[in-house]
Amino acid sequence: MDGPVPGRASAGVWAPAASSCSSAAPEGRMCVCPGPRRIGIPVRSSSLPLFSDAMPAPTQLFFPLIRNCELSRIYGTACYCHHKHLCCSPPYIPQSRPRYTPHPAYATFYRPKESWWQYTQGRRYASTPQKFYLTPPQVNSILKANEYSFKVPEFDGKNVSSVLGFDSNQLPANAPIEDRRSAATCLQTRGMLLGVFDGHAGCACSQAVSERLFYYIAVSLLPHETLLEIENAVESGRALLPILQWHKHPNDYFSKEASKLYFNSLRTYWQELIDLNTGESTDIDVKEALINAFKRLDNDISLEAQVGDPNSFLNYLVLRVAFSGATACVAHVDGVDLHVANTGDSRAMLGVQEEDGSWSAVTLSNDHNAQNEREVERLKLEHPKNEAKSVVKQDRLLGLLMPFRAFGDVKFKWSIDLQKRVIESGPDQLNDNEYTKFIPPNYYTPPYLTAEPEVTYHRLRPQDKFLVLATDGLWETMHRQDVVRIVGEYLTGMHHQQPIAVGGYKVTLGQMHGLLTERRAKMSSVFEDQNAATHLIRHAVGNNEFGAVDHERLSKMLSLPEELARMYRDDITIIVVQFNSHVVGAYQNQEQ
Amino acid sequence: VMLPRLLAVVRGPGSCRGWREGSPARGSASATVAPPVALPAQAQVVVCGGGIMGTSVAYHLSKMGWKDVVLLEQGRLAAGSTRFCAGILSTARHLAIEQKMADYSNKLYHQLEQETGIQTGYTRTGSIFLAQTQDRLISLKRINSRLNVIGIPCEIISPKKVAELHPLLNVHDLVGAMHVPEDAVVSSADVALALASAASQSGVQIYDRTSILHVMVKKGQVAGVETDKGQIQCQYFVNCAGQWAYELGLCSEEPVSIPLHACEHFYLLTRPWETPLPSSTPTVVDADGRIYIRNWQGGILSGGFEKNPKPIFTEGKNQLEIQNLQEDWDHFEPLLSSLLRRMPQLETLEIVKLVNCPETFTPDMRCIMGESPSVRGYFVLVGMNSAGLSFGGGAGKYLAEWMVYGYPSENVWELDLKRFGALQSSRTFLRHRVMEVMPLLYDLKVPRWDFQTGRQLRTSPLYDRLDAQGARWMEKHGFERPKYFIPPDKDLLALEQSKTFYKPDWFEIVESEVKCCKEAVCVIDMSSFTKFEITSTGDQALEILQYLFSNDLDVPVGHIVHTGMLNERGGYENDCSIARLSKRSFFMISPTDQQVHCWAWLKKYMPEDSNLILEDVTWKYTALNLIGPRAVDVLSELSYAPMTPDHFPSLFCKEMSVGYANGIRVMSMTHTGEPGFMLYIPIEYALHVYNEVMSVGQKYGIRNAGYYALRSLRIEKFFAFWGQDLNTLTTPLECGGESRVKLDKGVDFIGRDALLQQRQNGVYKRLTMFILDDHDTDLDLWPWWGEPIYRNGRYVGKTTSSAYGYTLERHVCLGFVHNFSEDTGEEQVVTADFINRGEYEIDIAGHRFQAKAKLYPVPSLLTHKRRKEDVELSDLHGK
Repeated sequence: MDGPVPGRASAGVWAPAASSCSSAAPEGRMCVCPGPRRIGIPVRSSSLPLFSDAMPAPTQLFFPLIRNCELSRIYGTACYCHHKHLCCSPPYIPQSRPRYTPHPAYATFYRPKESWWQYTQGRRYASTPQKFYLTPPQVNSILKANEYSFKVPEFDGKNVSSVLGFDSNQLPANAPIEDRRSAATCLQTRGMLLGVFDGHAGCACSQAVSERLFYYIAVSLLPHETLLEIENAVESGRALLPILQWHKHPNDYFSKEASKLYFNSLRTYWQELIDLNTGESTDIDVKEALINAFKRLDNDISLEAQVGDPNSFLNYLVLRVAFSGATACVAHVDGVDLHVANTGDSRAMLGVQEEDGSWSAVTLSNDHNAQNEREVERLKLEHPKNEAKSVVKQDRLLGLLMPFRAFGDVKFKWSIDLQKRVIESGPDQLNDNEYTKFIPPNYYTPPYLTAEPEVTYHRLRPQDKFLVLATDGLWETMHRQDVVRIVGEYLTGMHHQQPIAVGGYKVTLGQMHGLLTERRAKMSSVFEDQNAATHLIRHAVGNNEFGAVDHERLSKMLSLPEELARMYRDDITIIVVQFNSHVVGAYQNQEQ
Repeated sequence: VMLPRLLAVVRGPGSCRGWREGSPARGSASATVAPPVALPAQAQVVVCGGGIMGTSVAYHLSKMGWKDVVLLEQGRLAAGSTRFCAGILSTARHLAIEQKMADYSNKLYHQLEQETGIQTGYTRTGSIFLAQTQDRLISLKRINSRLNVIGIPCEIISPKKVAELHPLLNVHDLVGAMHVPEDAVVSSADVALALASAASQSGVQIYDRTSILHVMVKKGQVAGVETDKGQIQCQYFVNCAGQWAYELGLCSEEPVSIPLHACEHFYLLTRPWETPLPSSTPTVVDADGRIYIRNWQGGILSGGFEKNPKPIFTEGKNQLEIQNLQEDWDHFEPLLSSLLRRMPQLETLEIVKLVNCPETFTPDMRCIMGESPSVRGYFVLVGMNSAGLSFGGGAGKYLAEWMVYGYPSENVWELDLKRFGALQSSRTFLRHRVMEVMPLLYDLKVPRWDFQTGRQLRTSPLYDRLDAQGARWMEKHGFERPKYFIPPDKDLLALEQSKTFYKPDWFEIVESEVKCCKEAVCVIDMSSFTKFEITSTGDQALEILQYLFSNDLDVPVGHIVHTGMLNERGGYENDCSIARLSKRSFFMISPTDQQVHCWAWLKKYMPEDSNLILEDVTWKYTALNLIGPRAVDVLSELSYAPMTPDHFPSLFCKEMSVGYANGIRVMSMTHTGEPGFMLYIPIEYALHVYNEVMSVGQKYGIRNAGYYALRSLRIEKFFAFWGQDLNTLTTPLECGGESRVKLDKGVDFIGRDALLQQRQNGVYKRLTMFILDDHDTDLDLWPWWGEPIYRNGRYVGKTTSSAYGYTLERHVCLGFVHNFSEDTGEEQVVTADFINRGEYEIDIAGHRFQAKAKLYPVPSLLTHKRRKEDVELSDLHGK
């Protein structure tokens, strides 16, 4: 099957570099990654084919690749980056096997860390000389490549929103990055939506969720009349009311091809909402809306994959979306009402400033993984007793999946029959894919996985200064208390340090000077970043044992070749939402 | 009536200094005893503000015989910036008018204690201005030579001498310093109280705790004020409200825009040194270290102007007096480091407190005084840029003169409120601009610096086109104007560093632009010029213009007249070109910064007549100046009309088509004395005409040029410019403008009598052109303006502007020559003979250069020769 031009063209452009890359790579030694993958299946073999085949992939899908390529060019590892996805990997696919499965081939492919090192070392010498020490400006350009800031516009010098704005950023470890982020203002209702999405087994699902979920939420929140108005507009071909105002980084893309399909699913949803309306309660419960939206989207993802699409590209896309997975952590802020809906192991953390100026962290979400006893309990209760041992194994769902709730991942949701049927009738690429064909062990009573979120409500207080939404890439490297302290100190700049007043004490100019110099030194690292999320990533990646950013360490971590990067860190995506204490305070006073 | 109350105010603290913790109690004592007093129903003058400015104005008004004055203060007397002022009186200022004000203030405060019996803490300590760099020393030398000629003792001293004058100073990193021995320290609050007391004794009524709510205006004239204690009818109102002046300006039927904004300002007070510093310890200004240091009760007081100022009160006033503002030590840290570097021994000195006293700043670092352009009788004196104490006396005097006599005795155009318009009144603009202005107080002031903030407000429609072609911009009255164009092959980075007292790096660029103007043709975007149209149904327009302007405007339609707009004393209020568009309509072109001033002047004299219409059309036209011998070729090709001098004589105006565009006003003048045309283009055609001119001009060697080239051309041709060379105190007879005056045009005009008188008596100063002889352009300091001129070794005046004349290959300065009597110093008549018979020198930062004086422009042989070649070449084109 011949792909259309875009996919071809991209592959063509990269071909020469790729060939040099494959010649440098030792035979058959690059399949299994022993790093802390969130899913115990060698993802490379599962996700790579998606790109390696001459699929009609639009150039848009390659954006993340291009970006990565540019990034790596900065530190001179260009020949490493993505070419293997295109050219090198296909020969190995048949050999790759899921990790942690009792497959006989497994042992031959698993390698301990040491050999990985040797291998990379060897490879490093074989290729052009690498510069592994990055200068501070190079480090900054890597860290800042994806940063984005949004300030809620002020009207007439006043900002009446409880949100001042947000900073977001992401640092890839996977190539391409599997994390996604979204932020949007609801236009037909009040409030702002922000979310981070951590994909696994590819980025298709996290991508789809990042572009669709907020529409589902917004629609769930819309009053009946507005839904009617929108439906009537569609029906009569009039202009639609805009629902969301997106706040996107140029790298945050939307799929143009699937847009129509997605719209139709969404429309079916609101039509059902219109039909369901009994005309009784006009009050819309945000919590319920969030849960419905999450479940509905997951359902739609599943349905679209089952139904398929006559367009072969779309058909393949919906299957990739369904067979990959994504966690989601979404915050809805409206005035003082903060709802956090979480599915999976991303986390929402509230930064609270105590009266003495110090910072404390309030967790607004529960991780859905093996560390959460309630989740383990839930899973065990949902399945027969005899599965109690197999349902959570080695801290993973069915011994495979780290998050216990997720979008997509139909492998953990559909019956075996359904899976087989869909794969057989699906395109060849799917059929050739070992991962999709593979059925989880001990798979007796599906579904094992749900996208239903746990919703937390918090009423904002003036001391609640900011909210950090981040994927587990951040939380596994930093303690929540440190996260909140670092952001808090960053956002308040100097002011977190108690202002000095001489009042009454005997202080000499020399003493004061010493004190001020010390305070200044402490602050200098803050000024490097204009974005709180960037600042946090700098700490997450570069912190030494004393909790200070160590440039050498930062430089090493960022110059890791991509195969290695994933072993030392996960994709990190962070959104820091800053609240407007004045407005929050005013709300509070109003109600008193 | 008010005297006893006032004295109660004054007696309270005795020798108290404003910063003492006890000082707030000072006013409250008087407040508790003060019975509610009824305000007078009317007064001639109401002054708002009981700080040093308000009291100084009241004091000087009463001295000049205006006794029916009421001074209102919303809080207590001397409570705003005046109370917190660091108390340093320094005469070392950059502007001549500022030097004069400070000098007068110094003399006034010196004798104030004797006059009023109120202790002001006046101590003549002298001050030392340190230079850490050679450039700073040059800057100080320039000030030094200018202070000396107005009689303020002052000298440049070595670091060793600095150490002798002030033993605590670390002088190892200094290259020199300037010592001004007669500078002083004084308590500004007590000065204000003394001025108030003296004013009160001569009849001025003072009321504190009285807020002005509203200024009433009737028919464009102040009618009275409304306070929280009742109304007062008055003819004059003086806004001396300091940080509150901006808002007070708006509290009026006809808002008066007063562009200023406050920034926090910090200084430090310490306990006394082990052996308390003697009260005569000189004040130290270390501008490179951004700090000042003075003796304070045996310890020190030190503050500064940091690089990152904190603007405050952007949203408006929030307290009646300034109090309890936060001390911000972290913000002060760089200044403290600087202080300890300068005086390392201070380490052990104990801190009393860090004072936060907001100061007001203006968009151009100069104070604001004068009458509102929109409301007659509404005067303003505010925006002191941290020099309120130094300026207080002098500024109050000039403003009082202005009110009493109708004009101040010195040229204060640089400080005139009318240099601003409403366009500088945006809060955002002010906030951003003052953040640049405050650090600038201690930055090195090099020639031709431009503000970086608050830019791109007014632009020509060609801005983007010109910018893309390498234009570098300067700003005048909010309007962006090209300085010069960087050729594509020039290194941009090198050019940004053109801040120097020596030959700037754009020298060659401007040279090639000038050369192009002389030999081919250049186009300069001059859209910023102020453009008015005056039309009437009958002869009203001609009549009023004949009365307002000195030249004869009853010329045939299509003629352009250069003329002065004079005041009663014959001084230039404006110098402009007027084209007679038709019998009944005139088109008037004035300098950019005349937009407010000239409008106000015309409005003041124009009769209320619906048949006479004055319109500001500045924004309607883009002006392109086509300078050069080839301009005529370009234009005739674009218009298919003969443009030769026979068909289009000099100083002629015609509406014609240029390219596809019709109705372009073409004027045969260039403001430089070079051949060429000004095109006044309705803005929608601007891009088209520009593109056509550039494409047709290509074969004639056309290129863009900027104002630096224009300036060089005009100064070389001895074209004086209003605002730089000409001002309200100079008459046409004093600057060779006789041809622009028609004393016998048959109609009386403003200033005619004064000119007749002057013609009879002779002039007391004369604008002269100086060509520097032994000046090495590459190696010597360049002249700027304000350099003293010496004739036969004696000081005779100062330069007003200067430029390098590329054709003369010499520096050219314009400046006024006076004839001071050798015995009495009195001014005597200056004759052409007097000018011609002198040996001249120009003092640039202490170094004197020989100069040739000329009363008329020098015909250049060089240009003449080139012209000849041009004729031959143009013959080849075979038009």
